[in-house]
Formats: sequence, C-alpha cells, structure tokens
Amino acid sequence: MRPRARHLPPLSSRQAGTAPVEVEHPDLDESRSTDRPWLVIVWNDPINLMSFVTFVFQKLFGYSKEKATKLMLDVHHKGRAVVSSGTRERAELDVYRLHEHGLWATMEQST
Amino acid sequence: MPIRRRRDGRYAVKLDPGVRAVLVTMAEQLAPILSPDEPMTRRLFPPAYPAEEQAGAEQEYRSLVDGALVNRHRQAFAVMAETAQADTLSESELTDWLSAVGSLRLVLGTRLDVSEEMDAPDPDDPSAPEYALYELLGQLQYLMIEVLAAQLPEEGRPEGTL
Repeated sequence: MRPRARHLPPLSSRQAGTAPVEVEHPDLDESRSTDRPWLVIVWNDPINLMSFVTFVFQKLFGYSKEKATKLMLDVHHKGRAVVSSGTRERAELDVYRLHEHGLWATMEQST
Repeated sequence: MPIRRRRDGRYAVKLDPGVRAVLVTMAEQLAPILSPDEPMTRRLFPPAYPAEEQAGAEQEYRSLVDGALVNRHRQAFAVMAETAQADTLSESELTDWLSAVGSLRLVLGTRLDVSEEMDAPDPDDPSAPEYALYELLGQLQYLMIEVLAAQLPEEGRPEGTL
C-alpha cells in the first residue's frame, strides 16, 4: 500500500548503454515464497469510532488525512483493508502497534 | 469546548466531576484484571495470525507481545487515574486518556455486544446504565480525537519516518 519511490528514474533509462543485462537466476521462483510480502489487514469492528481509525492510520503510518480516510472507509464498507505491507518482521510490528491502539489487525502473506 | 488546546501546547479539560470519578473507578477496576485470559478484557488482545494452521505463529506472537500490551494498557489507565482531576493535561497525558477511554469502550462494547445499527436500549432494560456509560465514553473519545488529530499534518509524514 505504500507509494513507490517516485524520484528514481525508470529502470530502463538507468541501464541504457551499460553492459549486458543480467539474466534472471533460474532458482528465483523458489526463493520467492519467502520473499512474498506480508500484508497487514485491519478488520471492521462495531466499536471503534471512524474518526479514531483514521487518526490511528495517520499517526502510525504517517499517511495523509485523505489516504487514512480512504482506508478507514474501505474497512467500514468492505469489512477489511490492507493498511501496510512488508517483511514479516515489519508487518508484525505494525500489527502490534495497531493492537496497542485497540484495532482488530491481522497479517497474512500475499499470494 | 470541554477539551481544547491552549497556546502553550497543554490541553484544558472541562469535565463534570461525576465523569472524572467514573473514569477513575473504571480504570482502577480494569487495570488489575487486564489479561488475554480474562474474558472481559479479551478484546484488547486480538490475534495476529487468526488461521488455525498458523497456531504456532500466533502462540509465538502472543508470547512476544502480551506482556507489553498489558503494560501499555495498565500505564494508560494509571496515567488517567492519576490525572483524572487535573484542569490541564500534557499531550502525552491526553494521549494516554485517549488510549484508556478507548480500552474501556472496547471492554464495555464487547460486553454489551454492540452492533453498528444498534439503538439505545429501553430505559428499563438492565443494560441501560452500562450503555449510557458506553455512549459517554464515545463522546469523550470523540472530543479527544478532534483536538489530537488537529495536530497531525494533513499531508502526512514523509515516507519511512516514524
């Protein structure tokens, strides 16, 4: 869910004119199962106030009010929203911080 | 406004003495029994790995965080109880109030089994006083969020900063 870094030029222009492009390793697919990012999911609950959920997303993740509000509305209307993603350790930390704030957060590896 | 940010960065809190007394009583009742094993406070310890086949990961997560979660909630209750009679609060104290009041709402709301479309119970209903308390906590939490959210940058923080 985090925005990609916007200031890096596209890969192709950085590689223009340089030595042969590396060929993908054949074993890449195997290692990918552990590389797949973990998703942090917040679930709708009938108790936490909408303004509180937005506040927590802004405070914990530094999201803009607009983005935090959109995620909160996703949670409210769709029942759940992915609020962050990353390594397993990072996701676990985010889940813990959401639990500290009383939000119903879980994590799962993306498929 | 009952809660407002002053120029010096502290928060002026105007609350009925009865409300303050209720906050202290509830915090003092809940703090000692806070535990993932206690049905009444179970809601404060949600699962990170809910799937049955991840029971091992969940157990590991619980052993890592439950102690810290208990301490975090107890500390917020303690700060709220200690400062319950104060006319002004620091931002850190008000943040603990927000956390403590939120936890009290979660406990009460779970006990009352509230749903989003729920109407207030009939005045004769045995759950009416508890529901009124739940609503009061919601109003108080709303006021605290208003003033604290106003301090957050609307455009968010640069990516990667905490």
